[in-house]
Amino acid sequence: MSERDLDFQLIQRIQNGEQQAFTLLVRKYQNRVANILTRYLRNNGDLADVTQEVFIKVYKSLPSFRGESAFYTWLYRITVNTAKNYLTSQGRRPPSADVDVMEADSYDGSEALREADDPESVLRSQEIKHVILQTIEQLPAELKSAITLRELEGMSYEEIANIEDCPIGTVRSRIFRARDAIDKQLKPLLEN
Amino acid sequence: MQTDNEQLSALIDNEVVDKPLVDELIIDKMQQTKFARYHLIGDVMRDEVAEPLIDIDISEKVMAAIKAQAPSAEVTKLDTAVNKMPSAKRTNIVSLMHRFGQYAIAASVAGVVVVTTLMTSPSVVENNDTGLEVLSTVPLGGAVTPVSLQANNSKSKQALKEHNERLEALLKDHQLQLQLQP
Repeated sequence: MSERDLDFQLIQRIQNGEQQAFTLLVRKYQNRVANILTRYLRNNGDLADVTQEVFIKVYKSLPSFRGESAFYTWLYRITVNTAKNYLTSQGRRPPSADVDVMEADSYDGSEALREADDPESVLRSQEIKHVILQTIEQLPAELKSAITLRELEGMSYEEIANIEDCPIGTVRSRIFRARDAIDKQLKPLLEN
Repeated sequence: MQTDNEQLSALIDNEVVDKPLVDELIIDKMQQTKFARYHLIGDVMRDEVAEPLIDIDISEKVMAAIKAQAPSAEVTKLDTAVNKMPSAKRTNIVSLMHRFGQYAIAASVAGVVVVTTLMTSPSVVENNDTGLEVLSTVPLGGAVTPVSLQANNSKSKQALKEHNERLEALLKDHQLQLQLQP
């Protein structure tokens, strides 16, 4: 982890007693943690509670986090262990094989939950996803390319600047404008 | 405002180190919500969201739970100095020393009993026909007291019995105290 890494900055602050900095880590990773948990939990009603439990465990374990691995790798391990412990406490057997942290991004684990889901929240989720993806589709080509290379390919601004043959400042501006355009559509949906 | 949001976007991508912006983000709820939405966009693009989406504001519940569990959940400030160790650790060490101290006392008492029994055991004295060397000791005070078949056993047996009973009572009392302690 480098000093430029936001996770690194936040963890340092938390380790120095700045408890509120943890809010940002929760806000950043809550969706990804919930997505990992869907592979293990059968009841969607437990999802928010177990996600909360994961973050409480993470907070308590942060003093022992040395930054030798990426924060997300560490968080992933805690999430899987919490899910397994939860299943054991419920008298259920955890899955025999884990989904690897590298495969986690492409794994669609929501299938198991769909039957038990509240139709209204499923509809709302689908709408949120639809709005985001549709807005991306409608973006000008240079904005769409910049945000796609950043979010899907995980490229740095410098790498994108090389590919797009433009200054880093332009990449930075394009990515922001893309996010801002999507956010303008997303915000009213989430506030309802 | 747009510059701030552009800085926020770059901060999310780890492309900028902006301490004042992080300071502001930690306290500004509006900026935090925007921060969460920017991340949600990336998560949806990578298909890394649970379906249905969990409550978007789980962070408040988490922070409330952490505060409710304080001080046990409090992240302790890292410090290498031993005298500045967290009080919980100090308490653990004291408790550990206390426990080991008890074992040490128990072991000492047991040792005294074994040595005393060996030194004064009638079976050793009485079965010395084989020519085995009789255990003897030099008291700290001075004179040597020989232990042999010639010694008068009738009086010493009574004293020995009383002595052993006293030691056993002491040992039992000590064990009882150990059991009663948490």
